[in-house]
Amino acid sequence: MNKKSLIQKAAASPHIVWSVLFIVAPLIFVMYYAFTDKEGNFTFGNFTELFQASYLEIFMRSVCFAFLATVICLVIAYPIAYFISRAKPKTQKILIMLIMLPMWMNFLIRTYSWMALMEDTGIINSFLGIFGIGPVHMINTAGAVIVGMVYNYLPYMIIPIHSVLSKVDGRLLEAAADLGSNPLTVITKVVFPLSIPGIISGITMVFVPSISTFYISQKLGGGNFDLIGDTIERQFQTAYNYNLGASMSFVLMLLIIISMTIMNKYADDDGGVII
Amino acid sequence: MNEKKIIELKGVSKSFDGELILDNIDLKVYEKEFMTLLGPSGCGKTTTLRIIAGFVTPDCGELLFDGEKINEVPPYKRSVNTVFQKYALFPHLNVYENIAFALRLKKTPEEEIYERVEEMLTMVNLRGFEKRDVNLLSGGQQQRVAIARALINKPRVLLLDEPLGALDLKLRKDMQNELKNIQRKTGITFIYVTHDQEEALSMSDTVVVMANGKIQQIGSPTDIYNEPENAFVADFIGESNIIDGVMLDDFKVRFSGHEFVCLDKGFSKNEPVDVVVRPEDVDVVPVEKGMLSGIVDSVTFKGVHYEIIVTINKFKWMIQSTDYVAPAQKIGIYVEPDAIHIMKKSEFSGMFGDYSSFSDELEHLSDVTEEEE
Amino acid sequence: MKKSNKIYTALIFVFLYLPIAVLILFSFNSSNSTNSFAGFSLKWYKELFSDGATLLALRNTLILAILSSVIATVIGTLAAYGIHHMKNKHIKNTVLTVNNIPMMNPEIVVGISMMLLFVFVGRLINSSTTLGFGTVLIAHVTFNIPYVVLSVMPKFKQMDRHLPEAALDLGCTPFQSFYKVEMPQIISGIISGFIMAFTLSIDDFIISYFTIGSGFETLPIRIYSMTKKRVTPDMYALSALIFLSILILLLISNFTGNSSGVKEKKPVTLKQKKRRRIVFAATFALIAIITGAVLISTATTETVVVNVYNWGEYISDGSDGSFDSNKAFEDYYSKVLSEERGHKVKVQVNYTTYTSNEDLYAKIKSGVGGYDVIVPSDYMVERLIKEGLVQPLDLNNIPNYKYIKDDFKKPFYDNGEETYSVMYTYGIVGIIYNTEYVDEEDIGGWDLLWNEKYSGHILQFNNARDAFGSAMYKEGINVNTATELEWRNALNELKRQKPLVQSYVMDEVYNKLESEEAWIGAYYAGDALSMIYNNENLAFYYPKNSDGEFATNIFADAMCIPTGVSEENKKHAEAYINFMLSEEPAIANAEYIYYGCPNTLVTENPDYIEYLGEDYDVIYDPDIEDNIDILFSKYAYRNLPTDKLALLNRLWEELKVDSSSFNGGIYIVSGVIALGIVGFIVFCYVRKVRRRRLYWNTTPKTK
Repeated sequence: MNKKSLIQKAAASPHIVWSVLFIVAPLIFVMYYAFTDKEGNFTFGNFTELFQASYLEIFMRSVCFAFLATVICLVIAYPIAYFISRAKPKTQKILIMLIMLPMWMNFLIRTYSWMALMEDTGIINSFLGIFGIGPVHMINTAGAVIVGMVYNYLPYMIIPIHSVLSKVDGRLLEAAADLGSNPLTVITKVVFPLSIPGIISGITMVFVPSISTFYISQKLGGGNFDLIGDTIERQFQTAYNYNLGASMSFVLMLLIIISMTIMNKYADDDGGVII
Repeated sequence: MNEKKIIELKGVSKSFDGELILDNIDLKVYEKEFMTLLGPSGCGKTTTLRIIAGFVTPDCGELLFDGEKINEVPPYKRSVNTVFQKYALFPHLNVYENIAFALRLKKTPEEEIYERVEEMLTMVNLRGFEKRDVNLLSGGQQQRVAIARALINKPRVLLLDEPLGALDLKLRKDMQNELKNIQRKTGITFIYVTHDQEEALSMSDTVVVMANGKIQQIGSPTDIYNEPENAFVADFIGESNIIDGVMLDDFKVRFSGHEFVCLDKGFSKNEPVDVVVRPEDVDVVPVEKGMLSGIVDSVTFKGVHYEIIVTINKFKWMIQSTDYVAPAQKIGIYVEPDAIHIMKKSEFSGMFGDYSSFSDELEHLSDVTEEEE
Repeated sequence: MKKSNKIYTALIFVFLYLPIAVLILFSFNSSNSTNSFAGFSLKWYKELFSDGATLLALRNTLILAILSSVIATVIGTLAAYGIHHMKNKHIKNTVLTVNNIPMMNPEIVVGISMMLLFVFVGRLINSSTTLGFGTVLIAHVTFNIPYVVLSVMPKFKQMDRHLPEAALDLGCTPFQSFYKVEMPQIISGIISGFIMAFTLSIDDFIISYFTIGSGFETLPIRIYSMTKKRVTPDMYALSALIFLSILILLLISNFTGNSSGVKEKKPVTLKQKKRRRIVFAATFALIAIITGAVLISTATTETVVVNVYNWGEYISDGSDGSFDSNKAFEDYYSKVLSEERGHKVKVQVNYTTYTSNEDLYAKIKSGVGGYDVIVPSDYMVERLIKEGLVQPLDLNNIPNYKYIKDDFKKPFYDNGEETYSVMYTYGIVGIIYNTEYVDEEDIGGWDLLWNEKYSGHILQFNNARDAFGSAMYKEGINVNTATELEWRNALNELKRQKPLVQSYVMDEVYNKLESEEAWIGAYYAGDALSMIYNNENLAFYYPKNSDGEFATNIFADAMCIPTGVSEENKKHAEAYINFMLSEEPAIANAEYIYYGCPNTLVTENPDYIEYLGEDYDVIYDPDIEDNIDILFSKYAYRNLPTDKLALLNRLWEELKVDSSSFNGGIYIVSGVIALGIVGFIVFCYVRKVRRRRLYWNTTPKTK
C-alpha cells in the first residue's frame, strides 16, 4: 500500500513541474513586462496608456463582438445539441464527429473561404443574384466578423452542451411531461437548468477565443476595425512594444478571469439561479 | 369497490423493432381500485403502464379514459401521474420545488402551493425536508418525494412503476403499507407494476398476471392464488407442484398413477389437464397412510417451516411442513380434495412444476431494467 | 427527430460545411484565384505533390501534433491519476486551477507569455537557437495537457474506488493494478483526451506563431506567411485531401463497429478484444515509428544545416516542374563540402517564412530565432545594421556578388565601409485599377485612392508604413523626414479616406481585384501583372506627383546574416547567398517572384527576357530604371528614428481604432441583449427568493 501511495503522489509531479515551468513562469513574465517600462523600471505607465479612449474602445468593441458571437453560438448550438442528444447513440456519434470534422481543416483556410462566400461579388451574392436579390453587402462589416467567429467556434459550444444533454436521464423528461409540462416547458424547466454546466463550459470555450482572435477580424472585417487580439499582436510583432502588449494581455486575462468567476459562482449556486 | 370504469384498454398491441411486446390486451380499471400488473421482466407490464401514461402510443387498439379515446393525447394533458422506477426526481430542484413542480406549471398562487406541498409532505412524513437536496436523500425518502410529487396534482389515476424495486426488504414492507394507506386515504386509482408476487398479493384489489405480452389472468389476490388459470400463473404466484393429469370424470382426477377426488368439474372425459397442488397443502404422513409415497431428496429449514423435496414417480414435489423429516427417508403424502386445483392445458404446460432444478433467486435477478426503449 | 428539427440540423450542417465545399471547389480551379472559378483542373493537386515545402510543413504539423498529444496524454493521464488521489484539498484545487489556466487564458496570451519565457531563457543561456521545434513542442504540450486531464479525471471519479483494492487483493502489484484494472476503466477518457489534444494541436496557429523559430514550419504558419503573396489553391487542395482522408477514417471507424464506444453494454467478444488490441498496437507502433524517424533523421551522417528565413512564396520551390532552388543548393553544397572534407556531408536547408519586416525584426531582435540567412527589406536592413543585429559579409566568399548591377551595390541602406547585404529582389509600387469602372481621366496619381466616385471599392494597405506612405506621396510629404505635423496630416488624409476604403488588405488584394469586388488598389508591379493575367479588365500604372515625377515606393529585399551566427555557419550562409546569385537559381527565382532582379546574369539573359515578354518593360520600365537612384533616395522607406517609429505606430493605432466609420449599432444590440440576460437572471433570482420566503425559514431544521 505504501508503494502505491508513493506512486500516486509521484504521478502528478511531472505535471506540476511542467505547470510551474510553462504556465506559471510565463505568466510572471507577462506581469513583469506589464509593470515595467522599456528600461525595466517599475511603472504603471502601460496601464495609464491603456486607459486612453481609443484602447478602451477596442476593449469594449472586442467584448461586444465576443459577447454577440457567444450569444449567437449559444442560440444556434442549443437546439442542435438537444436534437442530437435525443437521437440514437450511433447517430449521435456520427453527428458529433461531423460537427468536429471542420475543426480539423485549417482555420485560416476556412476563414479565407468565408471571404469568397461573403464578398459582394462572392458566391452567396452570385447565388442570390439568380433570384434578382442583392447584392447584399456582407464582407467587411461587423456582421461578417461575428459570422466568422460563430462559424469557427460553434463546435466548441455544441460539444459540451451535447455531452451534458446526452447524460440527462430520459425519465426526467418523461416525469416532467407526466407532471403536466408541455414540450416547451419540459425544456425550460428541466432540460435547460440541467444543462447549465454544459452551457457554462460552452460559453467559456467560445467567449475566450472570440475575444482574443486576430485573424478573423483582419480578413472578414477588412481591417476596418481592430479587436484586442489584433492590437496585442501588433505590439509584439510590429510595434515591438512588449510592455504595452503585456499590459493589454494582463488586462484581457483579468477581464476573462473576472467574468468566468462571476459566471461560475452563479452556476454553482445550488443548481443555478434559473429555475 | 366502485363499479365505474376509469381506464379501459381494448385490443391494444405494441411492438418495438419488430418484436411484439403487447399482444391484443384488454383491460378495465375501475375507480378507487388498487390494481397490480404482475409478471416477469419482458412480459409487457411496463409498456402497458407507459401506454396509459402516454409515453408510448399503441400500434393498434384503443385506450379509453372515462369512456373517451385518448390514444393521441400527450402525457401532459392526461390526469394520470406516474411514480417512476428510479423516482426520476429533478436533481436541480430541492424537495419542496420537486413536489411543487406540477403546481408551478399551472401558475398556482404561491400560498396555495405552500399549503398543498406541506400537506403532501405531511402525508409522506417528510415535513422539515423542504430545503434538502434530493440527491442527498436516502432511497426511501426519495421514494416518498416521488409519490408526493405525483400526487400533488390530484390525479385520477396514479401509475407506479416498480416503485419499491430499489429499496431493501424492511423498507419495502413499510412502504407497502404506507402506499396502501395513501391509496385508501386519497381514494385515487393505483396501477402498480411489479414482478414481486408477494407485493402484488398483499397490496392489490385486483392482480393482472401478464406473460409474453398477454394477460394470463385477472382476479383478486385470493382468486389468483387459489384458482390459477394456467401453469404459468400457478407457478408465478407462490410455490406449486404442477403435475400432468387426466380428468377422468367430474370431481375425479388421475395423476402420479393414483386417482384423486377433487372439487373441479366441467372438463370433458379423459381430458389431459394440469394439476396444481400447493406445497403447504400437502400433509406428510407415514408411508402406509399416504396416497402417494416417495424418498426425501433434501430438507431445508426456512424458519416457519421445512421445505422438503420428495421424488414421487420421478416427479420432484415440494412440500412445506412444520415437522422435520430426514433426507433419504421414505414418506407418504396426503392431499385433501380441496387442495387439488385442476387447470386446462395451456402453452405453459410442462414448462414448470418440477423442482429438480429449483432455485428461488433466479427469477428476481434480471428485473431492474425492463423494457427500456 | 421531427421534420422541423431535421431541417434545422441540416441547416447547421450547411453552415458548417459551406466553406469546406467552397474550398474543395476552388481546389479544382484552373486559375490561381481563390474566389472566382475559371474552370476545372487538377493542376493544384499536381502542384501540391511537387511542393516540397508544403509537404514538409504538413509532415512537421503531423509530427508536432502526434508528439505533443502523446506527451500531453502521458503527463496528463498520470496527473489525473495523481490529482485524483490527492488528499490535501488545497493542493488539489491549486493544481487544478493552474491546470485550467491555458484553457481559460486567451491563446494569444498563452503564446506571448511562452515567447517571453523562451526569449528570456534563450538570452540567459546565450543561445541564438532557442526558438524552434523544441519550443513549439513545449507550447503545444502545455496547452494540450489540460484537455487530457479534464477528460481523464471524470473517469477516475466514476471508477469504483474498491476496484484497485480488489486488484491488489487478488495479487496485482500496484503497477499491474493500474495497467490491468484502472487503465481499461479510463481508456475511453484517455482516447478522447488524446483526440482533443491532437485536434487542437493540428489546427493551432496563434500559439505556434509566437513560439516557433528557425528550421521548423507548420502548415498554419506557412499559410499565414503566404499573406504577402497570394494563398495558392494548392493549400485548398491539401485541405480537401485532409478533409477526405479524415472523412474516410471516420466512416471506416464507424462501420467496423464500436471501436471506441464509450458506453457499451454488450459484452466484448474475444475477437473484438483482439482486434482492438491490434488497432491499439498499430497506432502505438505508428507513433513510435514516426517519433523514431524524427530522431534518426536528426542524427545520421554529418549534417550541415542552413536556416533560411524568407518572405512567403519568395523562392522557386520546384512546384509545377520548376527549379527547386533550395534543393539545388543542398545537392551542390553537399558535393562541395564532401570533397573539401573528404567524407559525406549532408546539407539541409531549413526554409521558413514570415509575413512582414516587423515580424522578422521581432524574431531577430529576440535573438533566439537561430536564423542564418534572412531577407529583410531596405529600411529594415538599415535598422538591423544600426542596431548591430546583422554582421558584415565576407565578399570573398560571395564571388557572384560581381553580377549585381552597380546601381544596387551600395544602396542607401547599406552604403558604409562594410557590406552587410546582398540585394535579392526589388519592386515598385503601382496602382492597379479596373478599366471597366474607373475613368481614364481619374488615373495618374495617388489621389485615385481618395476618389469619392469609387467609394467602397478602394483597397488600402493593412500595414502602417505603406498606408502612410500612400498618403505622403499624395501630399508630397517626404516619407523619411516628415515632421510630426506632416505625419499628422497624413493621418488626417487616411482618416478622410477611411469611409471610402472597402478594406485594409495585404494578400487579399489579389482576389478582391481579380473578382472585381474592389476596383482600385496599390501593390507591387510584378504582382499587378499576375492579376492582369487573371483578369484582363485590370490595368496598372506607376503614380506620379503633380510635377509629373514618379512618386512611389521602391523597395529592395536583401539577404543578410544575423549577428549571432557562428563563423562556421556564416561560411555556409555565404555559400547559400552566393549560390542564389548564380545563373540558374537566380533566373528561376526571378521568374517565380516576378519582381525586379538586380542580377545582370538574369536581366541580360535572353531566355528570361523572352519569358517576361511584354511584362519586361513594366517590371524594368525604362523611365523608372533611369530614375531608380532618385526613387531610392527620395521615396524608398528609410529606417525611422525611434521617436518617429513610435509616432507611426501610435498614429496607425489611432487610425485603426478610429470609430467614425464604425457602426456603433453593435453596441446597442449587445447592450440590449446583455440587459435582457441580466434582467432575466435578476428576475429569476428574485422569483426564486420570493418563492423560498414561504418555506425557507418557517420550517425547523431537522437532522
